[in-house]
Amino acid sequence: MKKIWLVSKREFLTRVKKKSFLVMTLLSPLLIVLFYGIIFYFSINKDVTDSVKTICVVDAGNHFNKQLKNSKTIHFDFREITHKEAIDRIEAGLYYAVIEVPEELKEIKTLEILCIEQPSLGTLDYIETQMQSVIRNSKLASNGINQDLLNEINQTTVQLKTLKITDTGVEKGNSGVTTFIGFIGAFLIYLFIFLYGVQVMRGVIEEKTNRIVELIISSVRPFQLMMGKIMGIAMVGLTQFVIWVVLVVVLSAPVSQLVMNLLDVNPEIIAQAQTQSQISGAGQESIGGLGGFIADLGQFNFLLIGGMFLFFFISGYLFYGSLFAAIGSAVDNETDTQQFMFPITMPLIFAFVLAQSSVVNSPNSSLSVWLSMIPFTSPVVMMVRLPFGVPQWQILASMASMIVGFIFTVWLASRIYRIGILTFGKKPTYREIWRWLFMSN
Amino acid sequence: MIIQVNNLTKRYKNHLAVDNLSLAIPEGSIFGLLGPNGAGKTSFIRILTQITQADEGEILFGGEKLNSSHVLQIGYLPEERGLYKKMKVGEQLLYFAELKGMKSSEAKSRLKYWIDKFEVHTWLNKKVEELSKGMQQKVQFIATVIHQPKLLILDEPFSGFDPINAQVLTDEILNLRKEGATIIFSTHRMDSVELLCDHIALINRSKKVLDGPVHQIKQEHKSNLFELVYTGNTISSNPVFDAQEIWNEGDKRCVGIVPNQNISNRELLLNLMNQGIEPISFREKLPTMEEIFIKTVGISNLENHEENLAGK
Repeated sequence: MKKIWLVSKREFLTRVKKKSFLVMTLLSPLLIVLFYGIIFYFSINKDVTDSVKTICVVDAGNHFNKQLKNSKTIHFDFREITHKEAIDRIEAGLYYAVIEVPEELKEIKTLEILCIEQPSLGTLDYIETQMQSVIRNSKLASNGINQDLLNEINQTTVQLKTLKITDTGVEKGNSGVTTFIGFIGAFLIYLFIFLYGVQVMRGVIEEKTNRIVELIISSVRPFQLMMGKIMGIAMVGLTQFVIWVVLVVVLSAPVSQLVMNLLDVNPEIIAQAQTQSQISGAGQESIGGLGGFIADLGQFNFLLIGGMFLFFFISGYLFYGSLFAAIGSAVDNETDTQQFMFPITMPLIFAFVLAQSSVVNSPNSSLSVWLSMIPFTSPVVMMVRLPFGVPQWQILASMASMIVGFIFTVWLASRIYRIGILTFGKKPTYREIWRWLFMSN
Repeated sequence: MIIQVNNLTKRYKNHLAVDNLSLAIPEGSIFGLLGPNGAGKTSFIRILTQITQADEGEILFGGEKLNSSHVLQIGYLPEERGLYKKMKVGEQLLYFAELKGMKSSEAKSRLKYWIDKFEVHTWLNKKVEELSKGMQQKVQFIATVIHQPKLLILDEPFSGFDPINAQVLTDEILNLRKEGATIIFSTHRMDSVELLCDHIALINRSKKVLDGPVHQIKQEHKSNLFELVYTGNTISSNPVFDAQEIWNEGDKRCVGIVPNQNISNRELLLNLMNQGIEPISFREKLPTMEEIFIKTVGISNLENHEENLAGK
């Protein structure tokens, strides 16, 4: 045990003392926030990247009454031109596309859009929606419904607020917050396993290529060296995580104050945003809901979620980290790792992708339950499921299978490792590695 | 005996690495473990350093069955060796000493001893990668001996060492022996350690071929050959001895002399003097370890083995 401690101390100190550790610890949260911020920004403002497209509508029959609304990137121009002129103007770049509405048409069902390149689904969708709404409104108007009533109808919204029945009574739920919490936990575990698992692998390869390994295992057992490395790097990860938590706690107050101040300066924007979201009719969170969002965070059993996070954080890392160590021991250089990395990283990526789709959408489906039981996927999947409420027996079963899982992979890895680190030369095949498992020391 | 090996056998998948090996290493000796590449020397050393385990047989360390408590008493310089390139020299050496089981305070005082000895204070805070190759070799050596091992195992110690460092290494090994350490040299270059070793074991194809004190082995294998350098008349064979000229240079000649049985050195010398020559040197020619090895195992045997290895 003392030797494992010595090895892990070295692993920890050599990494933490590096300048790059400090830089990465401070920079990576910023980068992640920036990264997701950019994705979020573009998913909301889809059209920022687009230039303005002018669509000419030839509407001699005046079906649309010049009422198609312009968006930021799509402008409508009502003009009567011939088919020949239309083609010329598109080719000249004057119009992005031309829609010719036949004059004699009674009921508009299909129309043709003339263009050079295939318009994106978003563009087509926007034009279709505009046309539908104009036609619908005119139909409603012709049936005696006036404009004021129409506006009122269009402003109708319904929002569902969840009330969860729990042991202690009825609690307020919030799908948005639930998803957010679960996702953050899953993301951190995924990131941690990948980042530090690869570090374990690199460390093992480094010792092997440096040829230092034989000297060391004449002093410590291969198992001690492997566990020391895995645990030392885990401590690096935990240190990094603790620094992040401290940063968040210390900075969150001033940052949220800053955000609030910014919002106070522009009360009009809030009002505008609120009416807009009401008009659009979708039950999305408005900016005014930010306070509610933060308040809803308080609804969760953070002791449970935090404890489970720590458990899966560590056990998931041990599970995968030891497999990464085994890979590192089997090869002589990093380029040879690809073939062995694939079957190990696949389930992890698979879990992460499913966590963002199937699991979030139906956290208690049998797929989600199974994925949260299998140690390959459970650390990521369980984190997503937890905030939605998971039966106790499932949590216990998942933890038990995780413990059995990592004991098994540590055993497996140590069998491969003890032979692998002294084997140089040709990259081993899967069959050879299989044989190593049963070889005597 | 610091090491007693009894009937040691180690098998790998499809070959026998160590075959029923028995040998004894006297305390305070410099013991040469000699044999061609692939003979099983490193396999044996890995069992001795407890990196692997024997399938059969046992090793006694100072009379006790070899166990993990002996790690502290063994210093090992593997054939394949290296250091952590990004780690500082001082930290690295302390780490190795502590891994062996040395207390941190003790390790520090030993580190100071070696740093003073090699006068390399300035290296302590340098990373290994900032040192020259020769400097790294010295650090490597300190790493092997910093915990004051009773038994030092050096696998192909001179490979990769430049001549100056090889001399430093030799001097330090002799020093350590004087302080009571036992040293095992393992090498396929028999000439490189012949002069240092007092005991040897020859190993070929996983088996011990012969072992014992060097002088005794040489006496047993000598071919009763003398070498005479002289000036004067040509010496030719006569009933007392056979002579064969080895070289001549101007009027200086060298002949190999094989006396006939039952004649003392004194009689031989008198007979030679009577031939009217002026002697320059006269000495008994003892066989080299390599010659003894080849004589014992046969040259064809040796070559086949190398081919077998290359073919694998």
